[in-house]
Amino acid sequence: MGVLLPMAPLLASTSLLALTVPAAALAEVQAQSQSPAEDAWAAMRTYFYGEREIGIADAAAFSLEAPASTPDPAATSLTLRFGAQDIGQVRQLRVIIDNNPSPVASTFEFAQGARIAEIELRVRVDRWTSVRAIAETTDGQLQMRSVWVNAAGGCSAAPTAASGGALGEIRFRNTPDGRSLQVAIRHPNNSGFQIDPLSGNPIPPHYVSHIHFSASGRALLDVDTGISLSENPTLRIASDSALPEPVSVEVTDSKDAHFNASWRGPASGGETIGDAAVSAR
Amino acid sequence: MLRPRLAFALCVLGASANAAPGEFTLTQFAPGVFVHLGRPLDLDAPDHDDIANVGFIVGARCTAVIDTGGSVRIGRALLAAVRRQTRRPICYVIDTHVHVDHVLGNAAFAPLRPSFVGHAALPAALARSRRYFLQHYAGDLDAPATAEQIIAPDRLVQSSLDLDLGGRVLHLRAWPVAHTDSDLTVLDEKTGTLWTGDLLFVQRLPAVDGDVAGWLAVIDELAHSEVRRAVPGHGPLVTDLSAAFIPERRYLRALLDGAQSAIDLGQSLPEAIDRVAAAEKPQWLLWDTTHPRNVTRVYQQLEWK
Repeated sequence: MGVLLPMAPLLASTSLLALTVPAAALAEVQAQSQSPAEDAWAAMRTYFYGEREIGIADAAAFSLEAPASTPDPAATSLTLRFGAQDIGQVRQLRVIIDNNPSPVASTFEFAQGARIAEIELRVRVDRWTSVRAIAETTDGQLQMRSVWVNAAGGCSAAPTAASGGALGEIRFRNTPDGRSLQVAIRHPNNSGFQIDPLSGNPIPPHYVSHIHFSASGRALLDVDTGISLSENPTLRIASDSALPEPVSVEVTDSKDAHFNASWRGPASGGETIGDAAVSAR
Repeated sequence: MLRPRLAFALCVLGASANAAPGEFTLTQFAPGVFVHLGRPLDLDAPDHDDIANVGFIVGARCTAVIDTGGSVRIGRALLAAVRRQTRRPICYVIDTHVHVDHVLGNAAFAPLRPSFVGHAALPAALARSRRYFLQHYAGDLDAPATAEQIIAPDRLVQSSLDLDLGGRVLHLRAWPVAHTDSDLTVLDEKTGTLWTGDLLFVQRLPAVDGDVAGWLAVIDELAHSEVRRAVPGHGPLVTDLSAAFIPERRYLRALLDGAQSAIDLGQSLPEAIDRVAAAEKPQWLLWDTTHPRNVTRVYQQLEWK
């Protein structure tokens, strides 16, 4: 990244760790994270990054924005931006909400050379917490940004009035210049901590687990997601130039249902090509 | 164009309640119509249980209480205020909608066994809210806080209902989804005074928990009615209802149109929070907490329209 500390030891395999973590080990890390913020982070830091040095990035090189007091604990926007020199130089980005029951909100694996300048995601924030983003550059350095967010009840919030609709419907919204594209997925993204307010029964977890982005037929971004994303999971990516069209997304959820859709560029006015194909085992 | 503005400036009676702590103020707005004005505070402020306008109307036979405040404490203070004005029984407790700052005082009246009256959708709305109220507002109920203290209506208004207090009839009207899905207005025929519930906010920024387009439609109907005197859900008493709706309608229209425009232009939610209806900010109290919530809600609703 633009302004960095001395080289940290390079561990080539680290970026694969998130995909190969045994479930039991992850559960242990996440159980520990119920304790106060610093403890939660300390355990995750060791788990994901071991003894590697993590620098605090200059805000011009890498920034994380979130509301200090969220207007909606169940749908809080986090915006991550990379400086001009760092676009195309990022390998992985992990977003951690320390005090959430499942702290790893998302892990983004960038395809080589993916020119992503900005990522916005909407997350559930359960209580007052540190939110942090750790970026790993292609040369193996780790850089972190963090913010405090005051919130209450984002993970247990009841489904909203905007819930329902056709499961897996995908909507694209772009800026006129085609550099920024929002992908919204119609999905309850039930956290497992919600209670049906009328019956009083717990709502079982049912969430988007993975989103694959490709642009012009080439892989762009792979995102491991989970219960910390908001209802109707919404991600926005922006590049420093128009995104190569078409941008296709393939969504997988925790019941192994698959949803796909493509966006064919700003001229289409955000039009989706091909209906969202839904399949479930 | 000067006249309506002047009229609005004159129609606002009294400033927001500046009572000493512990003092429960009461204003007789019209003969037999008593109002306690809530304070312009946030929902997490120390006196957050005293932010809504609450009150009662006294008839020859009995009294109707309209909204009970955000705690059993406020409900009891309101009950004591009723007792200082009249010995007649309290036959009705009317809830104008589901929000915590208007209904948590209901429990203070339960021992008197009045009929609790509300919108036909209010029981379901309360059922959805009980858990949230208990988690976040337990301290506003009697300890230990229980779901039973959050009292639902036993008499429901489908579209309209008349209640006779003895020589004095109240016209209740249930509205389609607007501020919430359980909005009810109460018109005191005798004095021509309308209790709007939170369909009207004066000075305090309107909070959206229902449907903005629906709310604008309700405003159009109420603003064109014959009624002039009104008790808003929040803010000073009103003697020109049509004029009092102007700022609220202007804000809600800017909010709805601005959020739609932000979505159409591909603007992100944080951008929308910064930009939508930004020119309205100087006109309102509690903008910094309420406006971001409103934009977030409306933006998400419109995204899936």
